[in-house]
Amino acid sequence: MIAPRWRKVLRDIAAHPGRSFLAGLALSTGVFQVGALIHQYAILEPLLATMYSRTNPASAILFVDDAGDDLVEAVRQVPGVARAEARPIIMARVRVRTGDGGGDPDGEWLPAVLYVVRDFDDLRIDTFKPNGGAWPPGGDEVLLERSALSLTGVGTGDRLTARNPAGDEIALRVAGSVHAEGLAPAWMDHVVPGFVPWNSAARTGLGGESAQIRIIADHPLDEGYIREVAAKVRTMIEGRGHTVTRVGIETPGKHPHADQMSAFMYLLGAFGILSLVLSAVLVAGMVHALLAEQVRQVGIMKAIGGSTRQIAGLYVGQIALLAVAALALGLPAGLAVGRAYARFSAGILNVDITDTPFPARAFAAVVAIGLLLPLLVALVPIHRASRITVHQALNDDLGPRPFGSRRLERWLARRTWLPRPFLLSLRTTCLRRGRLALTVGTLAIGGAVFMSALNVSGAWTRAVDSDFRARHYDLQVVLSRPYPIATLVEIVTAVPGVAHAEYWPGASPALVGAGGVAGGNVALLGLEPDSTLLDLPLVAGRWLRADDPRGVVINQTVVACNPDLHAGGIVELRLDGRSVTFPIAGVVKELNPVPVIYAPARAVLEATGQAGDTARTLRIVTGAHDDAAQRAAAAALEAAFLARGIEVGGMTRMLDARKAILDHLVIVMAVLTMASVIVVFVGAIALASTLTLSVVQRTREFGILGAIGAAPWTIARHVWLESLLISVAGWIVSLLLAAPVSGLLESVTGGIFFKAPLDFFVSVGAAAIWLILSVALASLCSIHPARRAARLTVREALAYA
Amino acid sequence: MIMLRNVTRTYQTPAGGFAALKGLDLDVPAGEFAAVVGRSGSGKSTLLNLMAGIDRPSSGSVVVGGRAIHDLGNDRLAAWRGRTVGIVFQFFQLLPTLTAAENVMLPMDFCGAVPTRDRRRRAIDLLARVEVADQADKLPATLSGGQQQRVAIARALANDPPVILADEPTGNLDSATSAAIFRLFGDLSRDGKTVVVVTHEREAVSGVVRTVTLADGCVVS
Repeated sequence: MIAPRWRKVLRDIAAHPGRSFLAGLALSTGVFQVGALIHQYAILEPLLATMYSRTNPASAILFVDDAGDDLVEAVRQVPGVARAEARPIIMARVRVRTGDGGGDPDGEWLPAVLYVVRDFDDLRIDTFKPNGGAWPPGGDEVLLERSALSLTGVGTGDRLTARNPAGDEIALRVAGSVHAEGLAPAWMDHVVPGFVPWNSAARTGLGGESAQIRIIADHPLDEGYIREVAAKVRTMIEGRGHTVTRVGIETPGKHPHADQMSAFMYLLGAFGILSLVLSAVLVAGMVHALLAEQVRQVGIMKAIGGSTRQIAGLYVGQIALLAVAALALGLPAGLAVGRAYARFSAGILNVDITDTPFPARAFAAVVAIGLLLPLLVALVPIHRASRITVHQALNDDLGPRPFGSRRLERWLARRTWLPRPFLLSLRTTCLRRGRLALTVGTLAIGGAVFMSALNVSGAWTRAVDSDFRARHYDLQVVLSRPYPIATLVEIVTAVPGVAHAEYWPGASPALVGAGGVAGGNVALLGLEPDSTLLDLPLVAGRWLRADDPRGVVINQTVVACNPDLHAGGIVELRLDGRSVTFPIAGVVKELNPVPVIYAPARAVLEATGQAGDTARTLRIVTGAHDDAAQRAAAAALEAAFLARGIEVGGMTRMLDARKAILDHLVIVMAVLTMASVIVVFVGAIALASTLTLSVVQRTREFGILGAIGAAPWTIARHVWLESLLISVAGWIVSLLLAAPVSGLLESVTGGIFFKAPLDFFVSVGAAAIWLILSVALASLCSIHPARRAARLTVREALAYA
Repeated sequence: MIMLRNVTRTYQTPAGGFAALKGLDLDVPAGEFAAVVGRSGSGKSTLLNLMAGIDRPSSGSVVVGGRAIHDLGNDRLAAWRGRTVGIVFQFFQLLPTLTAAENVMLPMDFCGAVPTRDRRRRAIDLLARVEVADQADKLPATLSGGQQQRVAIARALANDPPVILADEPTGNLDSATSAAIFRLFGDLSRDGKTVVVVTHEREAVSGVVRTVTLADGCVVS
């Protein structure tokens, strides 16, 4: 038999279904969000830590003139080499399918990388696995990375046309798809990865392959060791009479999208903490509200012999019951959503979640948080409530203080010119400051996150727009080798839709860091100092000048690679085995993760030894700058170059490049959106519960209003006004919070992606949207309490004790 | 049974200190049925609250059943109250989510004076004594005012306390029910309970052994 006091606990819950539902919903929302975040973190964290290494990524890639079996076998014998494999690549372009038709002759050409695989059944380095269709592919077939299927619009059995820079085309049958975890999704980088066999027709039909030997060192995470081993391999290969043009060494163990992952995990962690704080605030508010209603009953129980501990025990039990119910409701949903969201996030990173064992640790953590957090935050209000004396409880000594005892209240009391109904709501709202602060705080945090999501999105879009506005060209063309500028001018000027073109020399030297050690490659671009095509914002120093033939400008990514570099300093490059130095005239900020050095064209030509009348890269300005104009000009240029035998290595439309950058931000925006939706939901619950409680506590007041002639709708309007005032107060505080939160997020995500913080941006539109949402939320949340207040009869209200 | 000596109770209000009781002395012998009467604001309820240990005197001493309760801490006071005093309020103050029987069992639950298995039976017996046993399993909201007050009296008797204190127990009842309630208190007094009833209804206090009249915080008769 259950003791009467515990029956009281159960019936108190059942007696106020609306309030109990709100309390349970608030708690379960907290459990849900914490559960979802912890679970997805628990799934993704180990996955992200291992996903790259389990594809056996190459420690180093040697670009050689031959990748025959004998040479690869010799590489395997070099001390320190654990594995070696030939994996030549063919840089080509493929025609995507934009309609339902077969060949789709109007389809756009996208850059593609065809990896030539020695033995599909003996993959040792940069492994991938079958995803569908045939394995291995035949000589005239290709396996596409699965993320390329939607980008190209082809499926298994379709024909995919590939073209080399010389314009030679070959149709490959799509044999199926593979999943290559080590590669970024095709839709994100806008590059089509494909895999062809050693005897592929593409090797002869397209040619121009870059022979590569990939190695894994014995200590694959030690970059210094990898460099030593790569140097030994290079020496061995050159000793056998071959040429090694370049050795590529990426940061060991770093996935191509590791930066996005870092941002993602950072946001997950930040919002996990925020969720906990919000849950705690909400639970504290709920407990406070619950106990405020129970004051008289506490007095009665004490009057009939209940001790402080016994009464505190009752309310601890009540909170525990609600917490258990909230766990039962929120935990399964939170875990399921966490798993689904982890799958979604992994999909963005081109990773599959295949193994999702029962999340014991996440489960235990959420249960502990879901049970302990409500009890912990409830302890103080329960302690306070259960310690009140019978006299205080039964004589309403704990009721609201007399209005006017605080400065704000006295100030409000003097504002007699305000409409009386509004005045009454305003004064009532301010009377219970603790609860008001909790509700306003919850709404403000929700609003701040919501606005920050929009602000960060706006900051990104502004940064991208600003960056692309600084590039006054529409197409970027890379040729497979330098061509006479005169020929190029002749071709380009004849193409309809082209308004202007510049011909920039370029190279990819290695940046020499501290101690004279060559590090990663940088892009060295030559342009005339008076070129109007680039107008990048300067962080320090000045732009290129005609009277300074060797002064260069570096972007902030170069500075991130070598923080010692600065305007007025010297940058050293290793180019074809030679060391070249340039004085740094300035530093520019651009949305580019690639380190770029802008130099006078003549300086680049001198450093590279290229002829001054040839160029390999072009910047094209079209007459119109919309998508259709860029596409038309690109197609016309493509055809014109093909007709004159000019080999095009790649052609990038700037609108397409802009979209690719924004696509990289999908995951960040997804996390922000999810967090803000949950937080706004929590804020709505807090507001609804505050109003419900306010109606209960103002019952007598409503009775008096009714007795002196207030119509039910007048009373309902009071409740709505109170709700509106709280929401607007929340909106004002959220404006103050949104600025630093947005600034922090903009700084961190900008730093992760582009090595520079985004410019601080807060959107007036975001504030306006949140204000509109706040008013809508206030109205929505006040419907039930207002109806309840309006339905009270005067007799009931006045008799309320 | 109840002894108050030089008891003063002063409340602080925005307008300054207000003395509800001023140096009051009062003795209520065991088994006496006393009524405390007086106008509104005379200090009746304050006096009752001090006897019940619900309030503390600003100065002076309150001794009930030989125990100086003005020195007890809140928890000891609650335990003492549960065993020594049964309180009946003007607005009944039944817990709305518990049935009549459960309301009566609750003090037993808190004090543990009655074995768990005997509590229900004792609650029904007490309800029978106040003639509402047939309402035992009903919630307070379904009972009339008189029935609720009878349940409240049964609850006051739950732990068989020697003292019953009632604060305007008939203030919300019609005259016939009020008379019945006073008869009930008379019966309790005859059974040996010390009963102190605060009321402003002079005509309803017939049957009491002694009437204490308060005015402006002092005993005037």
